[in-house]
Amino acid sequence: MTGALSGKLIVELAERVSGEYCGKLLADFGAEVIKIERPGGAPTRAMGPFKDGVLGLERSALFAYLNTNKKSVVLDLSAPADRARLEHLLARADAMIDDHCVPLFAKDQLAADYPRLVHCLITPFGQGAPADWQNAQPINVINAGGWAWHSPSETPPTKPPLKGAGRFLPNYEAGIDAALCVAASLYRQGRTGTGQFIDLSEVEVQVNRIDCVLGRMLAGEADPGPERTAYDMGGPAKSFACTDGYVYLFMTSKAHWKGLLELMEYPAWAMEFPEDWLEFHCTPDKVALFRKHFAIWAAGQTKHAVSEAGQKLGVAIVPVNSAADLPGNEQFVHRGFFQTLAHPVLGEALYPTVCYKLSATPVRLVSPAPALGQHSGELA
Amino acid sequence: MPLPQRGGPLAGVRVLELTKVWAGPYAGKYLAQLGAEVIKVESRTNLDEMRAYGGVDIDAAPYFLSINQEIQSVQVNMKTAEGLELVKRMVEQSDIVIDNIRPGAMERSGLDYEHLKAIKPDIIQVSIKMWGTDGPFGYQTGYAPCFAALSGLNFLVGHEGEVPGGMNIRYGDSTAGACAALAAVAALNHREATGDGQFIDLSAVETMTSLIGDSLFSWSVTGEVPQADGNYHPEMCPHGTYPCADGEWLSIAVVDDVQWLALASILEFDPAPAHESLAGRLADRRAIDACTAAVTASYPAEELADRLRQAGIPAFKSQSSLDLCSADWLWNRGGYLMVSDHRTGNRPIIGPPWRMEPDQAQVERGAPLLGEHNDYVYRELLGLPPGDIADLKARKVID
Repeated sequence: MTGALSGKLIVELAERVSGEYCGKLLADFGAEVIKIERPGGAPTRAMGPFKDGVLGLERSALFAYLNTNKKSVVLDLSAPADRARLEHLLARADAMIDDHCVPLFAKDQLAADYPRLVHCLITPFGQGAPADWQNAQPINVINAGGWAWHSPSETPPTKPPLKGAGRFLPNYEAGIDAALCVAASLYRQGRTGTGQFIDLSEVEVQVNRIDCVLGRMLAGEADPGPERTAYDMGGPAKSFACTDGYVYLFMTSKAHWKGLLELMEYPAWAMEFPEDWLEFHCTPDKVALFRKHFAIWAAGQTKHAVSEAGQKLGVAIVPVNSAADLPGNEQFVHRGFFQTLAHPVLGEALYPTVCYKLSATPVRLVSPAPALGQHSGELA
Repeated sequence: MPLPQRGGPLAGVRVLELTKVWAGPYAGKYLAQLGAEVIKVESRTNLDEMRAYGGVDIDAAPYFLSINQEIQSVQVNMKTAEGLELVKRMVEQSDIVIDNIRPGAMERSGLDYEHLKAIKPDIIQVSIKMWGTDGPFGYQTGYAPCFAALSGLNFLVGHEGEVPGGMNIRYGDSTAGACAALAAVAALNHREATGDGQFIDLSAVETMTSLIGDSLFSWSVTGEVPQADGNYHPEMCPHGTYPCADGEWLSIAVVDDVQWLALASILEFDPAPAHESLAGRLADRRAIDACTAAVTASYPAEELADRLRQAGIPAFKSQSSLDLCSADWLWNRGGYLMVSDHRTGNRPIIGPPWRMEPDQAQVERGAPLLGEHNDYVYRELLGLPPGDIADLKARKVID
């Protein structure tokens, strides 16, 4: 396989989703990623859901998703012989990814022993944080970074802040930035022949993702506060229930409003709104009134048909797609976002791939997640 | 004047940005924070909206200043033929070109990959669009919450039993920018190995979809369509955010049975024998959540978080914008940095989430004034004589 990172050898000591996703992104670019697993297997093999609801080392959908295109080598790092095998491997590796709160190798020793190695360590709060903070789970990370407090938009103060989509949203975000740093450092390694230590904080990734909203508050141009709505934009944008699910409507301009009027065929209630209300009269009262009426109208629509009609009129209305809506979506099909791959135990399944199409080095899922220790024999 | 040597892994890499608002500039920011020299092509007649939001001074716009640190600004009016030619000469001097302007605009300006490749054969071009560059929906444009809705991500975010409210309305652009930076740097490695550039076509919707990859894949394996599930976690209980005194909230994740007993001891309730296993707790999770919330409500969040963490239970106060702005732990670790500011002398910004040893790129200069680096680009990079530059300014090609 020719990928953008073909020829790079990366050792993955990571055992959490942050590091495993980082390794997956790099493996999908064609790097040879050797996942080191403890005897008994990586912890993510024990996390569900499992094929047919039956536990088993090769039955975890989570592990199967996170470890495509990788190799698996089992090492018992408490045994000197296996430790020596790992050290041999590090001596010829280009990069190593770790995500343990208490890392296996001290960074300075590693830099001294393997000056060419790029060493990436992903932890919840980054190096130097109090030890008892570092066992933070994804829900703690997304709360520490502020996105939970502010999600969903307009959440009343009586409702709990939310963890985000799925179980691992902040881990994926951290994995992206870690992969970026590793790729940049590999580029430098090619130029200088030397490695770097990369210390990545999952919480700081969360904070960075809101740079232009929080940055204004940090600089005193907007007031920070305890409000759950501090990141919100105001305006009527929101999800609305329809006959077969939900649609999301975003509206900020006169052009949007005129398009929507046409889409709704000029109902009497809407004609009482000034044409430029979104720009100049967007008060909470008007927003509430609009939403009350629009919700009634939307309830009679179907999500795909109304969205398509709205898009043609310049209205930013879209279906709130569920998992089941995506594989058949024409645009996803056109781009080949989902790829079918056979796994010896899970069988054929649809794998979501990556958001970037590289013309010379397209990302391809070549091999399913490895069986535990499938490649142990390759290691001397 | 030459630019300062800032170091970093991407030192010596030049990036040309034709970007607006957030996703594209975020990609440029990340590359700059890794040491690349990033030049933003701007024009008074086609201004980045972020220079207009939140005030009247386009050189002191809060949103713009909060993103574009260590960026060079060059003015070019791309609506003139001469301006476009100048942009092409800049491309000739660049390694990476990033854009997130509306679908078809790069093609109409003759800045599509085929044309850029003719100018600079090993150029790496990254184009960020809501749905990608082509395809049946390629013509559509949208805003970040639209990406998140279309992607399947927002469907999974909501309080149980309610219309899924999705992530905060601001979520989406910055992640797309981070993925664009990642793909660009991967391609840079490929260019080092082979000498070949390439075109990278990024879909912001797919960026969001990739963030729920395991949920989608699990659906394909099990047939169960994932739903918005509040703070439910199938492998931890209790798992959620719980109310504390004064309107604060505390996130708690109980990873195993030992932690459950420790939690019960700290919150002073008798753990039922049925709750000693995860399955037993999950079966009764609403009651457990209610019981937990009833006790946490009387504690200040920070105080309880400390006690729980000391007992080994993952816990952290849910941070508001006020908490984040005053977080010593972010200031002390360099999560926030001070950069230069033309108006006020200096300005705090959110720094990169990584530290590198050795050779971390310096981040010291705040966002540029419009056209601040005209001289650098036109004289030093393109080698134009001063008279030509004055003439281009007079004729508003440089505007």
